Amino acid sequence: MKSNALAVVLGILGVIFIICAVLYAIGGILPTFTSSGVAGPHYKHAILLAVLAVASFVAANFARPRVV
Amino acid sequence: MGLLQGASELFPVSSLGHAVLVPSLLRWSFKQSDPSFVPFLVLLHLGTATALLILFRDQWVSIIRGFFTAAFAGQMKTEPERLAMLLLTGTIPAAILGVLLESRIKSLFASPYEAAGFLIVNGLLMLGFEVLRRRAERSAGVESSSDSEREAHFASADRISFRAAAIVGACQALAFLPGISRSGVTIGGGLLAGLRHQEAARFSFLLATPTIFGAGIVEVPQLFSKDIPLGEYAVSAVLAGIAAYASARFLLRYFRSGRLDPYGWYCIAAGLVSLALLHFAI
Repeated sequence: MKSNALAVVLGILGVIFIICAVLYAIGGILPTFTSSGVAGPHYKHAILLAVLAVASFVAANFARPRVV
Repeated sequence: MGLLQGASELFPVSSLGHAVLVPSLLRWSFKQSDPSFVPFLVLLHLGTATALLILFRDQWVSIIRGFFTAAFAGQMKTEPERLAMLLLTGTIPAAILGVLLESRIKSLFASPYEAAGFLIVNGLLMLGFEVLRRRAERSAGVESSSDSEREAHFASADRISFRAAAIVGACQALAFLPGISRSGVTIGGGLLAGLRHQEAARFSFLLATPTIFGAGIVEVPQLFSKDIPLGEYAVSAVLAGIAAYASARFLLRYFRSGRLDPYGWYCIAAGLVSLALLHFAI
């Protein structure tokens, strides 16, 4: 499925994932979004969000219509 | 313990189930609540993942290269490119479910009784996968063909659909239940998606590598806490790696013509015997 709108949405999603990954890596900012609720770095969450960001950017590039 | 974990991680018989059951049955003084247990498990997993990386080193080089070329080009042209994207698709649901659910599920079902019960369920799953596979062979008219002809009718790992790759990846989360095998459910999922047995095993091992590595690497900081006998644990990790390497080679050869049935029957028998031994405290 090729669409500029879809590519933009996936790109924005990727940026959001990166911001969240950084916030979780720094810690103390998003403590309520973990099962422990403990403040501090949450590397598992940060790595997961970084992987999701990469996947979003890759998907955005796939969704972008090719110029022939 | 290293040999046990390395071998049972890749055989479709549940490493976690055996890690809960065997120490309990043999009365090893091995407490899972001990603070050094997690670092120990981390090293064993890293040993297993390293063995898989070594075994599939050529494929991983082409998969990683394929990932970057496909990601930057925005299209897949070659088999390694498609396989790289399939592995990414399969890893994401496993990673999400792992981060969200792993510790909760493992803390809910950590007793040997539950491990034995789930081992029986795992055996039934393996037999169920093969029943469905034989049905597919009957409808394709290849049930009476030779093993190689029958297997040739099915697809290679890079021909699996992206939806099937995501479902197979998500199935890995079932392995958080002690007794349910990660490789068992992923090989079974691959069979349902129409892969050859050997290709389903290869896809399962390739899919397991980033998952096992990822799960191990995030816990690495725990290795540097005090009172961890790192040398002793490192020897166990090497043994786990050797066992995993040998197991993977054996299984890839076995699945050229073999099926999941023997492992299914083994899991049912091992689960029933374990339940009896635990119940009568033999």
